[in-house]
Amino acid sequence: MKLRKELWFGYSIMALIIIPVILLTPWGDLFDGNLSRADLGVLGLLMLALICVGIMIGFPTAFTLMGMGVFFAWLAYRSVNPELANRQVLDLFVQRTYGVMSNEVLLAIPLFLFMGYLVERAQLIDRLFRSLHLATARVPGSLAVATIVTCAIFATATGIVGAVVTLMGLLAFPAMLKAGYNVKVSAGAVTAGGCLGILIPPSVMLIVYGAVAGVSVVQLYAGAFLPGFMLAGLYVGYIIVLAKWKPALMPPLAESERYVALPHFAQTLAQHGSNAFTGLWRAVTSSGSDAVAKRTALGQLFVTLTPALFLAAVLAVTWQLATAPEIEASTAGLIEAGGLVAAPEKESEMSTGLIGATELETEKPTGAAEGSKELSPPPVLEKAKTEGAKEVPGAVKAPKAKPAEKVAAEPERLPVPLWLWIAFGIGIGTIVLIYWLWNWERLEVFKMLLSSFFPLALLIIAVLGSIVFGLATPSEAAAVGGFGGFVLAAIYRFITHRRDAKATGSNPGAAVWKTVKELGGIVKESSFLTAKTSAMVCWLFVGSGIFSAAFALLGGQEIIEKWVLSLNMTPVQFMILAQLIIFILGWPLEWTEIIIIFMPIFLPLLPHFHIDPLFFGLLVALNLQTAFLSPPVAMAAFYLKGVSPPHVTLNQIFAGMMPFMGIQLIALALLYIFPAIGLWIPHALYK
Amino acid sequence: MQKTLLFIDKVSTWVGHAFSWLIVGLTLLITWEVYSRYVLHHSHPWVYDYMIMMYGTLFMMAGAYTLAKNGHVRGDMIYGYFRPRAQATIDLTLYILFFIPGIVAFVWAGYYYAAESWAINEHSNITSEGPAYYPFKTIIPVAGAIVLVQGIVEIIRCVICIKQDAWPSREADVQEVDVDELKKMVHVKDEDIQKLDAYVVHQEPGK
Repeated sequence: MKLRKELWFGYSIMALIIIPVILLTPWGDLFDGNLSRADLGVLGLLMLALICVGIMIGFPTAFTLMGMGVFFAWLAYRSVNPELANRQVLDLFVQRTYGVMSNEVLLAIPLFLFMGYLVERAQLIDRLFRSLHLATARVPGSLAVATIVTCAIFATATGIVGAVVTLMGLLAFPAMLKAGYNVKVSAGAVTAGGCLGILIPPSVMLIVYGAVAGVSVVQLYAGAFLPGFMLAGLYVGYIIVLAKWKPALMPPLAESERYVALPHFAQTLAQHGSNAFTGLWRAVTSSGSDAVAKRTALGQLFVTLTPALFLAAVLAVTWQLATAPEIEASTAGLIEAGGLVAAPEKESEMSTGLIGATELETEKPTGAAEGSKELSPPPVLEKAKTEGAKEVPGAVKAPKAKPAEKVAAEPERLPVPLWLWIAFGIGIGTIVLIYWLWNWERLEVFKMLLSSFFPLALLIIAVLGSIVFGLATPSEAAAVGGFGGFVLAAIYRFITHRRDAKATGSNPGAAVWKTVKELGGIVKESSFLTAKTSAMVCWLFVGSGIFSAAFALLGGQEIIEKWVLSLNMTPVQFMILAQLIIFILGWPLEWTEIIIIFMPIFLPLLPHFHIDPLFFGLLVALNLQTAFLSPPVAMAAFYLKGVSPPHVTLNQIFAGMMPFMGIQLIALALLYIFPAIGLWIPHALYK
Repeated sequence: MQKTLLFIDKVSTWVGHAFSWLIVGLTLLITWEVYSRYVLHHSHPWVYDYMIMMYGTLFMMAGAYTLAKNGHVRGDMIYGYFRPRAQATIDLTLYILFFIPGIVAFVWAGYYYAAESWAINEHSNITSEGPAYYPFKTIIPVAGAIVLVQGIVEIIRCVICIKQDAWPSREADVQEVDVDELKKMVHVKDEDIQKLDAYVVHQEPGK
């Protein structure tokens, strides 16, 4: 019965496309022997309708696009000059293909995929989840919160929805069920969290969009950062509120579930006081106590001090940047910006070539102008400089070594130090608070986080930071990230093997050998998967290259544009309509197909409605994320079903995903109403 | 017949596997270049050309491999609900209608494109004194030809499937989401999942 229903659904959608096409196409004009300009436009629309049907039938899309593109491009050329048609089609095809092969933006795709596959196999997700679960133990709905946070971090680094949902379905889902969590809520948390990786950079989706739209990937990454974390934050907020409101859905953890086993030295020292910081300090300084070895205490004290050291380093760097003399700042800026600018500008030019719509030609000059604008010094420096230069000419001359009090004391130098001062205050306040609450259990949890959460977070921040601040192009950052992923995998695998070796008493050399052997396997698997997935994405680009060229040649784009403009829509209406269409397309199609095939149709319309393609891209990314959670085709649900106990039904999972889908729609609306959420960072950094 | 098909599968897979190692090379090359630029203050302009060439070669040569593993993205709206015979009929028709003309044009166009590049002994137009580009352009017809051969294998598969109403087997390969492998990684066994059922059933009466 069920099969029939789904087939009916598919058939009726296809009928919805085919019947109007058959009825509305002026067949007589097409076959009257000569193809006029208007006939070609009709052919273009016909081609678009056919491709929709072709994709839905289920033949590999890349080849459908190729076959159709070649045929229709040939028709278009033939109508102009039948003798040259063959030659022209072949030239067009091969040039489009070569355009994809030498596309600098797409270059980042295999690299990010490789990084993702390596991190996925680094064997750190169980550590990550366990430490976050203990760290959030006091929060209401702690396991669900830990699930979302783990997903946000892990999915960000890997970007593979299926793997993340499966892994969390194996780790977090059982833990939540055992703790008495409601099945629906647990399923919702796992699936919603697993999909975060699509949006939060470095995501492959944004690279693909950047390549199609000719928007700099750097800006897209900078822009998607806040919306991504806003979404994760909304999820967490929803869970906490729900847990408070209906505790029966997510009962607080039993004492045994949040018990942190203390090592021997901590138990000894804990007798003298519950604060670990003072306890360790006493153990190190007092000469008499021999209960705990000095070395252990010193080591632990160092671990304890890392947050303070980290904060001090951050504040010192900020201080340096904020008060650096003007000359130094601007030259440093120019050197760095030199590296930064070359990339985005070239990207936009190369990728406009890829789409082939004539409209985009006009964008080139503006792109170049933006490029030259970007030549100004990089963000932080510039901000500090302009603030300083405008309001307090004196401040910039202040030597770096000047005592802090003096700067603060002189009123006309206040603007620069004021925010810095506030940051100092907040930072120091936080640190004091942290050490006030720093008991022995927290020290253990912190140590666990240090070995799971922070390395991964650091990897992501390093990759994103170097992209956003222009130290490296996305592909460079991805390559270094991939290398980092390899190192992470090596370290975690080695730690596991060494522990095993210690437990069984075998020699440590075997652990090294085992790690190397495993790493070989990991790298091999990861590179095979990378090859397959990038071939899938890039061949789709090859197919769509000739297809969209044919569409432009036939003038289908013009017809669509005229038609849309004749509707006299306001920008808001257009935006909502576009997002609605993309949302609906998200049901039957994969995001790759939507962005690569259908986005080029929307993009030339954006300038008419004064919509920033960057902003549009962020909305699309957020929107397509919803598609992963919307039944009946939500992939995340099927991955979770594959590893959940038999009595968990798909309907329960779908029901659990619904509230999270609602939150996504709220996030979409928020981003739409307050574009600053997405545009603030890119504008602050690059305008 | 099946043997021949599997043999060609193996060739495509082998080519794909061989070229997929380029990603390791690419990662190392760029990492080293970044290191060289920031730490040794010495950058190499030709790295850019090799980056592009490695990336392009990687995905082009993996095309047939992906096809052999049925890995090219398909719209899975109704396809999955058809019987194998219906699936094979659709595939067979569209392979002949779209795939063969598309890929033949691809190989043909690529052949002339590469031949021109060889004739003028083309070198990089991005960096001065850059590396030769004609081998890179030769990749287009070569990759296209392998995809074409693999496509013919797929067509034969379709014919077999129409006769038998079941898809002929393929060889296994690494999976993106390999559930068994992931279970092993986090030490979860099937019994554990079965045991969990108690918690789920326990909840049922409440609703």
